[in-house]
Amino acid sequence: MWNMFRTKPSSREVAKGRLHLVLAHDRAGLEGGKLQEMRHEIAAVISRYVPIDIEAVEIQIETRSRATELRVSSPLPIRGG
Amino acid sequence: MGRAIVITSGKGGVGKTTTTCNLGAAIAQLGMTVVLIDADIGLRNLDVVMGLENRIVYHVVDVVQGKCTAQKALIKDRRLENLWLLPASQTDDKDALTPDDMRKLVGELKATYDYVLIDCPAGIEQGFKNAIAGADEALVVATPEVSSIRDADRVVGLLAAQDIPTRLIVNRISAQMVKKGDMLSQADVIEILALELVGAVPLDEHVVASTNKGTPAVLEGKSAAAREFARVAKRLVGQETEPVGETSGGWFSRLGRALGLSPASAA
Repeated sequence: MWNMFRTKPSSREVAKGRLHLVLAHDRAGLEGGKLQEMRHEIAAVISRYVPIDIEAVEIQIETRSRATELRVSSPLPIRGG
Repeated sequence: MGRAIVITSGKGGVGKTTTTCNLGAAIAQLGMTVVLIDADIGLRNLDVVMGLENRIVYHVVDVVQGKCTAQKALIKDRRLENLWLLPASQTDDKDALTPDDMRKLVGELKATYDYVLIDCPAGIEQGFKNAIAGADEALVVATPEVSSIRDADRVVGLLAAQDIPTRLIVNRISAQMVKKGDMLSQADVIEILALELVGAVPLDEHVVASTNKGTPAVLEGKSAAAREFARVAKRLVGQETEPVGETSGGWFSRLGRALGLSPASAA
């Protein structure tokens, strides 16, 4: 949504965002580049079963409290009739 | 039987030694007997921060190697009746000690003294492993900065792997900077590290001055940092029930309630 009051995030918010990402990678022991490699491989596997847009496959590491979760999402095409 | 607490952080320069010095002095002021161990072999500093550098005769490596007893190596602080320092060796390296040596030494000291505080070296290698070996619990010191918190998180993981209960001290917080949005708040740090907070020490120039003199800030009077170190000491020994204060308010009260603490008053 368009927000006329939107301002640049404070350095405090930037630090928080960066830490969440860095710690998710650190805790999983997974470099950001490796994660992208994994995304490509997972997308290739999915595409062997379902025709998907490989570039639309997303991969994320999320961390809440001390639990870390790997999330892969891919839009699936609706089968044409 | 005493309690052994390791003060650690991963990153260097965040205030481990200052925290060890002040908590040690503050717990001693409460009437408990306290031994401080400098576990930073080769880069000792707790002696100068305490102002006891001119009285060292023996050190922790001498004790472990059987050259003298622990009692003989302990330096008694003359300002406080019940505070002692076991200094590190400046000439050996981290390999001069093993985790087993430390477990044995700390166990021996715990039999005589109420509290054994271990000042851990920076890093996560041999020196860290030695320092945590004999500890019943850990205090992780972090400043509200990305690098410090990242390193603290690594250390928290390593402590959890050893089943060492761990709590957090956020050091050098500036309420004004938090308010301006230029510093992570203590609530931010708690949220990210998912640890119980035991102290939030304000950025305070008195600490620099007391370190210059080699006098623990808690012995110097009522600076903001000294007051908080004294409160942390009370929390550690179970004398303080008041929750840790907040620098920004709002969010923290909700977190506090979620953790079962009563809402903190905004400082």
